Amino acid sequence: MKKLIFTSAVLLITTLGFSQSKYETAMKEKIDKVEQHLSADDFQKLSNDFTRIGDAEKTQWQPYYFASFAQIQKGRILMQQNQTAELDAVAAEAQKPLDKAMELSKDNAELYILKKMIHGLKMMVDPMNRYMTEGTAAQEALAKAEKLDAENPRISILKAEDLYYTPAQFGGSKEKGLELFKKALEQFKIYETKSPMNPNWGKAEAEYFIANKP
Amino acid sequence: MKTSFLKSIQFFFFFCFSLFYSQIIISGKVEFRNKGIKDVNVTLKNTYDGATTDEKGNFSFETSEKGEHILVFSHPKYVEVEEKISITNQNIEKNTILKESISEIDAVVITAGAIEASDKKRATALLTPIDIYTTAGADGQISAALNYLPGVQKVGESEGLFIRGGSGTESKIFMDGSLVNNYFSNSVPGIAGRDRFNTSLFKGNIFSSGGYSALYGQALSGILILESVDLPETSSYDFGISPLFLSGGFQQLSKNKNASFGATANYFNLGLAQEIFNYNTDFTKAPRGFGGDFNVRFKTKKGGFIKYYGSFDDNKMAVKNESLEPEFDFSKVRLKATNTNHNLSFKQKFGNYLLNMGSSYSYNISDLGFSTIENEVESPVNQMKNVDHYINFKTVIERKIMKISSIRAGFELNNANEKRNFGGFSKNYKDLISSVFAETDLGLNNRFSTKIGLRAENSSYLEKTNIAHRFALAYRISPQWTTSLAYGIFYQNPESKYLNSSAPLTFQKSEHYIFQLQRNSDGRSLRMEAFYKNYDQLVKTSGNQYIQIAENNSGNGYGKGLEIFWRDQKSLKTIDYWLTYSYLDSKRKSLNYPISLQPNFASEHTFSAVAKKFVLKWKTGFNLSYTYAKGRPYYDIVSQNGQNIIRNEGRLKDYNALNFSLNYLPNLGKKDSKTFTVLVLSVSNVLGSKNIFGYNFSNDGLRRSAIVPPVNTFVFLGAFFSIGVDKTNDAINNNL
Repeated sequence: MKKLIFTSAVLLITTLGFSQSKYETAMKEKIDKVEQHLSADDFQKLSNDFTRIGDAEKTQWQPYYFASFAQIQKGRILMQQNQTAELDAVAAEAQKPLDKAMELSKDNAELYILKKMIHGLKMMVDPMNRYMTEGTAAQEALAKAEKLDAENPRISILKAEDLYYTPAQFGGSKEKGLELFKKALEQFKIYETKSPMNPNWGKAEAEYFIANKP
Repeated sequence: MKTSFLKSIQFFFFFCFSLFYSQIIISGKVEFRNKGIKDVNVTLKNTYDGATTDEKGNFSFETSEKGEHILVFSHPKYVEVEEKISITNQNIEKNTILKESISEIDAVVITAGAIEASDKKRATALLTPIDIYTTAGADGQISAALNYLPGVQKVGESEGLFIRGGSGTESKIFMDGSLVNNYFSNSVPGIAGRDRFNTSLFKGNIFSSGGYSALYGQALSGILILESVDLPETSSYDFGISPLFLSGGFQQLSKNKNASFGATANYFNLGLAQEIFNYNTDFTKAPRGFGGDFNVRFKTKKGGFIKYYGSFDDNKMAVKNESLEPEFDFSKVRLKATNTNHNLSFKQKFGNYLLNMGSSYSYNISDLGFSTIENEVESPVNQMKNVDHYINFKTVIERKIMKISSIRAGFELNNANEKRNFGGFSKNYKDLISSVFAETDLGLNNRFSTKIGLRAENSSYLEKTNIAHRFALAYRISPQWTTSLAYGIFYQNPESKYLNSSAPLTFQKSEHYIFQLQRNSDGRSLRMEAFYKNYDQLVKTSGNQYIQIAENNSGNGYGKGLEIFWRDQKSLKTIDYWLTYSYLDSKRKSLNYPISLQPNFASEHTFSAVAKKFVLKWKTGFNLSYTYAKGRPYYDIVSQNGQNIIRNEGRLKDYNALNFSLNYLPNLGKKDSKTFTVLVLSVSNVLGSKNIFGYNFSNDGLRRSAIVPPVNTFVFLGAFFSIGVDKTNDAINNNL
């Protein structure tokens, strides 16, 4: 009988416990993937998974944040493969969950960081003609993020990327870029994310740049 | 017993547990037109459970949910579908067919006849505004850059766009919807006028070589639609300096970035160039002049946008030629001209309706003086003076219906008042052309779209009315291939300079048939177009070399041909190039042509190539362009005893020109620099080909002189500075 009660109790507790942390469990497993080097298709799947969680939860901004971020990651993979013509569609798909996240969480620096990245994707479709519009919008979004959360290391990461890839003739510099990546690493030591569900990516990228100088 | 009881309880618990947690597999296939769709997000509504479809449209996922649920299928390009399912303890297979969602982005666009230069990324935009700037040999003139596109003939001796066997007067130019009368600057016979409007005034353009929309009329061949810039990015001061001209201006943007105004002034004098270069034309007074413009742009509180642009210019020149008549040594023509042009437009959305209003006013004085010189004594000047007023007003209301369809309708009034004095002869030509038009875009799905239009015009001078219908359709064959068709009837009043008698006349007429096949892939475009244009009711004239008099509308003609355009920004690293070939077969019996002849402005074969490369290390852009055109025919036609006869005819030699230009941007990348400098060097006709545009004949037809460009090879050097704006980043991204 004791055994029975014990078994039942364990079952019950697991069930209850499971249902309580179901959100966190589902999120964590997927959040771990967003920083991995996945294929464009896998990022699309991941983005859909996050959207599903967001739609079911209805009040959490994080699932939508990651749905948008996974879509942006897909865009970056396409960009590496020179498929820039598809970036407009990807940017539009990244914008949808971001809009939902912004409704749920106002004045959130992390969301403006994504906004910057989306404008960056759109600019890459046709940099010649879009710089003045998309480039400016991207910088404005980043400035807004900085105003809201100056010490956010992901702001330094984005600035570092920009500097790193701008040719020297135009004021870019690999060294200055690397300095900013180092600054980001310093910021990661101090910066505290309020919840394990919150964005925490970027450290691996900074380390990669500093180690490999691609 | 006790144990068996316990066992059964345990079993019961396990049964409940396994029932509760038993996983059911839901799978299926999502299709559109019998083909699987990839990346469809399949969601069991209000749960985390779901999957994304694979290449074949298949999906499969596990769920522990039970009971009545909804399965949602969503994809950005398809209409979302919800399916009810009931989950028991059996696996479920659910197949679904999606419908395409119709959107402006994915919808096919009708491109027959048209080439767009736009910063918008879409299939119709084969060029960007920067391409116009950086085409070597175009000298920053939009109309000259169009010479490197299919359908436009290279005609050097007079201004205008000569499209597919049509004369320069058969094309019209519009700015923000309104007709621009006097788009080109005044000049003397044999020397082409220049674009009066600076390229930087426009953010994009659509050039149509036929089959254009019912919103436009009075052009037998084609139109150029210019879209002026909106508010500037920042306030700035701009200067330009060159041995030929000086210019200065400013743009002031309001703090809240919803209004701006600006002005520029310029002075030019070709005197110095004439000293340096070996001019073919003997300018006794080198072309010179001054001008200015002023603009205001602002957004209204209710979301409207008002733009005003006004300009003023004044220019002079005088040319001396050896006289073809034995009794004189030289003939001389001098020009004094003044022009002012104003353009006002207003645009606002009212719910589902979009209102576009525009008006333009142009006032032009062209004062030509002809004289002869014998033994260094000049004869009295024969004056030909034109004073012209034009007012154009146009209103278009547009309503969107469904997602990709719309209806547009409106009216246009164009009033011309021209006073002409030549010697003792004078006339005053007045004409009010009133037009109404309606057009509908019907998009049935993303692959198929049609446009049907109707336009009616009344001319007060002709006392006649016409009705013209237009039709076009586009079909997307595959993601990369599209095909378009266009058909239309176009009317145009006889040119006013031939209206010198009371002969009853009517509209001239043309009919266009255009078939286009276009392939667009990332970085490469191929456009092939076949056309047939039929002319009817063309004006026939008789008279001498100074005055031609329209007699009737018995003329006719045709133009047919094939054009190929290929642009490639991908194959050659950092080199962007395009190639154009146009084949044209055209004949017409119009004006003083006694029989059906190949027009003297039509060449059978035209080939051009444009290439651009930016070298980042040197901060310099290199541009090359080349044009070949098979020699055009020339005629010497005179009226004798009421009959037009061909006294002389022949064929010009082939036209060839290789042009080169480079732009050096020294401040590129200097982030703290407040001044942005561009140095331009351009050489047109580098090889010095001696091109001939036609011949002038003496009164008796026994002597002739060639019409040639004022200078064979021309070198331009200029520096442009912009202060207060950091355009560096702009330039970087232009060239990355």
